[in-house]
Amino acid sequence: MSFLKKFKGLFHDDWCPTCNSEMELTDKQLFMLNETVSHYVSTRNPAYFQNNLLKVDKKSDIPAGVYACGIKTYWCSECSKKIVYVQVFLPVRDQEKMEDVFYYENGELNNFLEKQKNYKL
Amino acid sequence: MENERIKKINWLYLGGYIILPILVIVLGIALTVWHVFPDNGLGTILFAIFLFGPVVFWSVGGSFIFKRQNKKMEQELDRENFHRDHTFNGKGVEVIVDTKDKKVALKFFWNPFEKFIIDAKKVENAYVDTGACGSGFMEGSSRVSFLFTVDGIKIRVNTFTSNQRFRMDSNYILDGISKADMMVNILNEASKDNKKK
Repeated sequence: MSFLKKFKGLFHDDWCPTCNSEMELTDKQLFMLNETVSHYVSTRNPAYFQNNLLKVDKKSDIPAGVYACGIKTYWCSECSKKIVYVQVFLPVRDQEKMEDVFYYENGELNNFLEKQKNYKL
Repeated sequence: MENERIKKINWLYLGGYIILPILVIVLGIALTVWHVFPDNGLGTILFAIFLFGPVVFWSVGGSFIFKRQNKKMEQELDRENFHRDHTFNGKGVEVIVDTKDKKVALKFFWNPFEKFIIDAKKVENAYVDTGACGSGFMEGSSRVSFLFTVDGIKIRVNTFTSNQRFRMDSNYILDGISKADMMVNILNEASKDNKKK
C-alpha cells in the first residue's frame, strides 16, 4: 500500500477519492475477516469480502491473531455518490496493524451491507 | 512418543552436528598433507569440498534436517488421526495443537528425530514475552516469543527474531505479538478444557 494511500486512509478516510471533498458518514460497522495473522492476501475483490466477513459488535469480540475489517459508508454530496470505505487491519492488543484501504464507488458491496443490516433487525 | 518426558536436546545429535564436520575438515587437510589428492585442479576441488562442505552443512544442514523431520512428523500425525488444527513453526520448535482431542505435538531443532505428543493439560503457564526493553520512544524489541511449561520444562517458541531492534509499534513486532497471543490463547483453551474433564 502506498504511503499516500495509507496516510489518507488513516487521517482522511472521509475525503472523496474522486473529488477530494469531505463526505458525510452514513453508516459504519466492524467485521471479523476470516484470516489469521500472516495469511492475509491483499485483494480488492468484493466477493472475497462478501464471503469472508463476519459482523461483530466490538474489537474485543475478535480473537487474537485474526484480522478485522472496518467498513464505513459515505455520501459524497459533490459527486452524488455512495462510497464504501473498507479498512483491513490486524488488531494487536491496544494497537492496530494497518493492512489495506479500499474504496468501492460503484456499489460493489451495497447488497452485502444491506443484508448485514437486515440480519441485525 | 506419547506422554514421555520431553527432551529438548539430543546431545548425541548436537555433538555430532558440531564434531563430524570438524572431522571432515581435518580429514581433508590430512589427505592434502599426505598427498592423497592429485596435485592438480581436481585436488584443489576435492580439498575445497572437504573444507566448505562442512561449512555449508553448519549453515543450512540443521534447518534442512529439521524441515524434513517436521514434514515426516506431520505425515505420521495424520496417520495417527491427530487433528492438526493449529501448527506453528518457530524455527527452533514446531508446535502442533489438536484442539479436538486436546493434544499437543512438539518437535525440537536439536532433537529432530523424536516427536513428543503430550496431553494439553500438561501445558502450564503459557504466556507471551514481547522482549520489550527501553522506555518511551526508545522502547523496542528484537525478539517476540511465547513460552509454556511442560513437566517443569520451559519451552520458548519465537514468533519474531531479528539482529536489529524494532519499535514496539512496528509491523514486525505487532505481527509477532499477534501470533504469540493467538498461540497462547489456543494452548490455554486446549489445556483449560482438558483440565475441566
